[in-house]
Order: sequence, then C-alpha cells, then structure tokens
Amino acid sequence: MRQLWIMTLKDLRQRVRDRSVFVFSLVVPLALMGVLSLVTGGFGSDDPGLEPVTVAASAANADQLATAVLDTMESQEVVDVTLNRMSADDARAAARSGAADVAIIIPDDFGSSLRSGSSPTVQVVQGDGAGLETDVLISVVVGVVDQLHAASVAAAAAGAAGLPPEAIAAIGNQAAARAPALTLKEGRASDEQLSFQGTLVAGQAGLFLMFTVGFGVLGLLAEREQGTLARLKSMPLGHGIIVASKAAVGYILGVAATGVLLVTGSLLFGVDFGSPLVVGVLVLSVVAAATSLTFIVARMVRTAEQANVAQSILAMVLGIAGGAFFPIQGSGFAQTLLDINPVGAFIRGLGISAGGGGLPEVGAPIAVMLVFAGACLVIARIIPDRGARA
Amino acid sequence: MGVAGPTDAGQSAPPTTEVLRVHGLVKRYGELTAVDGVSFTIQPGETFGLLGPNGAGKTTTISMIAGLIAADAGTVTVAGMGMGPSETAAKRHLGLVPQELAIYPDLTGRENLNFFGRLQGLNGKDLSRRTQEVLELIGLADRAGDLTKNYSGGMKRRLNIGIGLLHRPTLLILDEPTVGVDPQSRNSILEAVEALSSEGMAVLYTTHYMEEAERLCDRIAIIDEGSIQAEGTRDQLIKLTGGVDRINLHGSGNSTAAAAALRLVPGVQHVDGDGSALALTVHDGPSVLAGIVTGAANAGMSVTSVEITRPDLESVFLHLTGKALRD
Ligand SMILES: Nc1ncnc2c1ncn2[C@@H]1O[C@H](COP(=O)(O)OP(=O)(O)OP(=O)(O)O)[C@@H](O)[C@H]1O
Ligand SMILES: [Mg+2]
Repeated sequence: MRQLWIMTLKDLRQRVRDRSVFVFSLVVPLALMGVLSLVTGGFGSDDPGLEPVTVAASAANADQLATAVLDTMESQEVVDVTLNRMSADDARAAARSGAADVAIIIPDDFGSSLRSGSSPTVQVVQGDGAGLETDVLISVVVGVVDQLHAASVAAAAAGAAGLPPEAIAAIGNQAAARAPALTLKEGRASDEQLSFQGTLVAGQAGLFLMFTVGFGVLGLLAEREQGTLARLKSMPLGHGIIVASKAAVGYILGVAATGVLLVTGSLLFGVDFGSPLVVGVLVLSVVAAATSLTFIVARMVRTAEQANVAQSILAMVLGIAGGAFFPIQGSGFAQTLLDINPVGAFIRGLGISAGGGGLPEVGAPIAVMLVFAGACLVIARIIPDRGARA
Repeated sequence: MGVAGPTDAGQSAPPTTEVLRVHGLVKRYGELTAVDGVSFTIQPGETFGLLGPNGAGKTTTISMIAGLIAADAGTVTVAGMGMGPSETAAKRHLGLVPQELAIYPDLTGRENLNFFGRLQGLNGKDLSRRTQEVLELIGLADRAGDLTKNYSGGMKRRLNIGIGLLHRPTLLILDEPTVGVDPQSRNSILEAVEALSSEGMAVLYTTHYMEEAERLCDRIAIIDEGSIQAEGTRDQLIKLTGGVDRINLHGSGNSTAAAAALRLVPGVQHVDGDGSALALTVHDGPSVLAGIVTGAANAGMSVTSVEITRPDLESVFLHLTGKALRD
C-alpha cells in the first residue's frame, strides 16, 4: 500500500509538472464549452433554445373542450406555437409533408364523450421536424386531456350536467403551467432534461474524461520507454503495484478534472446539476468506467503515440455517441450500444439529477457505468499483452 | 547471509555464503537461444565480470538474475533465496543498473533517488542521508536540484548507477555502465565501482571492454553466443592461450639465417618469417628480448624495429572463439 502510494504520488507530481494534463483536461474542454455556447446560443443564459413549432390541428369548432385543449397548448410559455386549424386529413398531410411539425387531431365527439365519462382518443402525428419541442406540446395535450377527463368523471359522479367554463379554464392553466415539470420528471433521454448549457458542460466533461484518465496509461508507457519499468521490475514491489498505481493516477486525475469542469462549467454557464451527492457518485462511476477502459488500451498498444491515437478515437466515439455535441438516437442494436456507453449514461444521469432525481433515480445509469467498468477489467485480463515484450 | 540455500539441503558442506548462484540458465526467443546453460557463482565482496561482444547474452542473463524475466530453464539463487519475477524477498538484496538509462527526465536527480529509495523501503533521515552520500559518490551533489533531462550523458549514467546502489544492496549488478561515456566520466564510474567493492559490496559487471574487466574484476567469465566459454581470474584465463608472448622483428639482411639462429635461443618456442619480417612466439618476452635482438644481428640481420605483444583477454577471446571481441 505504501509502495502504491509512493508510485502514485510520483506520477501525479510528474503530471502536474508536465502541465499537459491541465491543458487537455481543463483548458481545452472549458474553451470548447465557451465556443460551442457562443456558436449555438447565448453565453450565460439558461435558455433551453427550443425552436418555434407549427401545429396543424383539427377539432370541431363548436366543441368547447377541444378548443380549451388547443388554447392551453397555444398559451403555454415553453414553446412558441403557430396553430393552424384545418380538417383532420389536411392536418395529417401537413405533418407528413413537413408543412407542420406536428398534427393534433381531436375527434368530433371529444367534448361529448368526455362529458359522458369515457376517454376519447386524441391522435398525434409527428412530422420529421419533431423533437424536444413537439414532445413538450404533446405532454401538454396529454396532461390537459387527462385532467379534463378526471374532472368530468368527478363532475358526472356529482350529478352535474357538464363542466362549468371556469373549471375548464382553470384546468387548462394548471396543465400549461405544469408543462416543463412534466418533461423533467419523465426521465427519458438526457437531452430532454438537461438544458442546452447543461448538456454542453456535461458533454464536454464526458468527452475529455477519456483523455484525462489516459494519462495513467501514458505513464505506464513512459516507464517502458524511459527504461524505468525494468528498474521497477527489479525492485521488491508487490504484485500488480505498478499497473495499480497507473490506474490510481488516471482515476484521481479523472475525478479531479471532471469535478472541476462540472463546477466551473455550471458557474460559467449558470447550470444546476442538482444534488452534489448524486453528481459526485455519477462522477466516481463514470471515471471508474473510463479508467478501466484504459486497461484495455494499455494491453493493445506499444507506444505512447499509439495510446494517444487510441484514446482520441475512444474519446470521440464515446463522447459523440454519448451526446456530447448533440443528442444521438438509434434503434434496435444500435440503441443498445448507445445505451451501454458510459459517457451517455453519465449525461443521462446528470439530466436526472438536474431534474431533481436522487440516488435511486440514477441507479440505472450508474449500473451501466459500473458494469461497463467491470467488463473492461475482465476483457483486459483476457486479451494478450502486446506491449509486454517491448 | 548465512542462510542455507535449498540446494544445500542434505549436503555435508557448510551453509552457502554465496551472494549469487546461477545454475544452467536458459532463455529462448523463438528459434534463438539467447542464453544457453549459463552457470557461475559470486562470493561476498567479489567483483565478477561477464565479458562478451554485442548480442552475447549478457543483458538477457542479467534480466533473469534480476527477476525481470522468467528463465526457460535453470535457477538463480540470491543470498540463498530463489529468484524469479515475483520473488520480492530475493529482490531486496539486489541493486540493478540497467544497460539502458532508467531515470525520470522530468524529476530532479534528488527526486529520482528519493523515489527509488522509498520504494526500497528507506525513509526519513535515513533516506536523506543516504541520498546525499550517493550524490557525493557519483559527483552530482551540486546538480541534485536540476531536472535530469538537463544533465549531460555522463551525468545521467552516473545517476543511473547511483540509484542502483542507494539501498546498499548485497549484490550490485552493472550492465555495461560506461557505454557512451566520455573518458573522464568513465574513469569516475570505474573508481566508484572500485570503492564499492573495497567496502565489501559484491558486484556483477558486464562489459565488452576487456580493459574494464581486467581492471575491476576478481574473476571473469567470457560469454559468447549465449554460453560461457571460460571462467577464472585474469591470469588463469591468459594461461589458456598458452601464456606466450608474441615478438615481431622487422629489418634487413639475412632473415632466413636469423630465423634458424633464433630457434636455438632459450625461451623461443616458434619462429615464422619471410623476407624482412620475423614473428616469434616466446616464453616471457621481456626477459628474452635482448638475446633475440643480438642473435638476429649475429646471424646477419640488422633489426630496425621490435614489437612485443603480451597476451590479454582479447587474445583469450580470439583463442577461444576465433573472433575478435570488438567488431
Ligand atoms: N526480447 C527479445 N526478443 C527477441 N530476441 C531478444 C530479446 N532480447 C534479446 N534478444 C536477443 O538475444 C540475444 C542476446 O541479447 P542480449 O541483449 O542479452 O545481448 P548482450 O550481450 O547484452 O549484448 P549488448 O552488448 O549489445 O548489450 C541477441 O541476439 C538479441 O537479439
Ligand atoms: Mg546488453
């Protein structure tokens, strides 16, 4: 243990003296956050950057309840809505052709069936332009319909003939106000939960993590290239101390850099990632996953140059697939691959924590990262060591 | 010390005092047998030389002795303990100075020493005192605070050696420590080794410079193509060549008559010659030289130059392998 600590401290001293760790792990990602933020949005604002949405809607003109649904949708303040009313068929066509981002078709018997206590089906057709914005609108519609339904059932039970207009308006306002909360609570893909700035900070922290933990492996290769590995092997060191110390270096640097990036990033860009405890556990987990991945790299490469290339590729692949620059979605097997990406899990976890989620809520992403870490360690043991001969 | 090695079990001989026992070491790399059955021992305080040309297997032998790589066959016992890649107890007795530099360029000389010293179990006052002693021994006390990447080649070499002896090992292994070093640094390295040896440290020294082996080593093993060709003190090795000196005479006049006359001079074993030059092998050249020159003159040859060559390890190597030690 003493030897492990001596080795780790020596490496940390070298890395600090070297300064490239500061450049790669802190300066570059922070600069990138700034640039990306300037290019794509305002510096320091927490504007989610939602696009205006065109909605093609069909509803019976005389239906008071259907009109309430559409009014609510229009009046919510999260997304700018342009509402065009038309026939059901035209609305569908508009969504398909892209003339509208989404079509909402409210059946003609919407009001009457609600009043009679049954739940009518509102049809939603998403066009190609569908995204976070249309999701927000749909959640508003769903919320309002659900509440109207619940209120109607209650009113019917009380023997009233129908909902009074004031009640309808109240329900609409409530649903509209709750819209953003709905999107945060659902715990779906990360981009739906972190603000734009939050995604930027979390994404860049995740992207550069691979470079940072890679300094551990680079240290091992440096020992080989400097000849000091031979000397260390001639010394009475416990089994596995050399590799363990490099892992410890990568881990410590990774935790420190990610922590600093999240804190600095959230101060600079006004992002709140939620509970420090949850964020801390997420950071510890994602750094564990990244560090164990470097063990595989260590086995496959012989020179520092090869390690640098391998790390850049891994950082880019994991970072981009994890949504460091923009959200990525796949289907089937591709989606499974995306799901097991520890950087993606990290960003998802931060989204949940930013939305107020606690440790139980981030259990799934944490499990992904820890299983990934374990799998990498197993794989690293199995594959032959290419570098050992050199 | 005084610990009986496993090989002594059941024997009537006293417990081994050997610092190092190497027995039947073999290392193969594919088709190539880099080390092929090497055996030798080193006694306490002894300086043992492994002399051989490039590729002879010196570094590979040392790598097995220091537990860097596993042997394909054979055993290494250090201070009575078995050695192998995971034998930490035996490794405690070793100080290795690798052939390639093994220092951190981005740490200072003192930091390098402190780091390796700590790993060897030194700490506190003990560590700082020992570090200072070593810095003075290797002549780097005034540059101890500089990053080693700013050292000259010779300074790096000296630090490389200093790290190996920091913890006062029972056996110090030096693998060609003077390669690529200017004559002055080289001399100070040799002096340092002599000083350590006189303090009683056992040394295993590999080189392809026969002068270094002759100067430093109590016993020398000549190694070529993975196996030891001969082993002994310098004088014992030289006797292998027959112990004769060579004398070359150049001159003019009747060299044929001179050759016949010189064959009769006591101490002369053999005379070869044609025209103006004669080559003689003689016993104890210096003492017979005068008789040879007068004998040649009396026979009608006027001698213009004389060369006397005493046998050295170079001639031993030539004698044993039919090749020159240096390419
Ligand atoms: N890791 C290795 N893989 C394959 N061959 C090797 C390896 N290490 C050494 N050899 C071969 O083993 C032989 C002995 O090499 P070694 O380094 O022991 O020689 P040496 O006596 O130390 O030479 P030098 O004086 O040049 O240092 C050489 O032919 C070398 O090419
Ligand atoms: Mg060598």
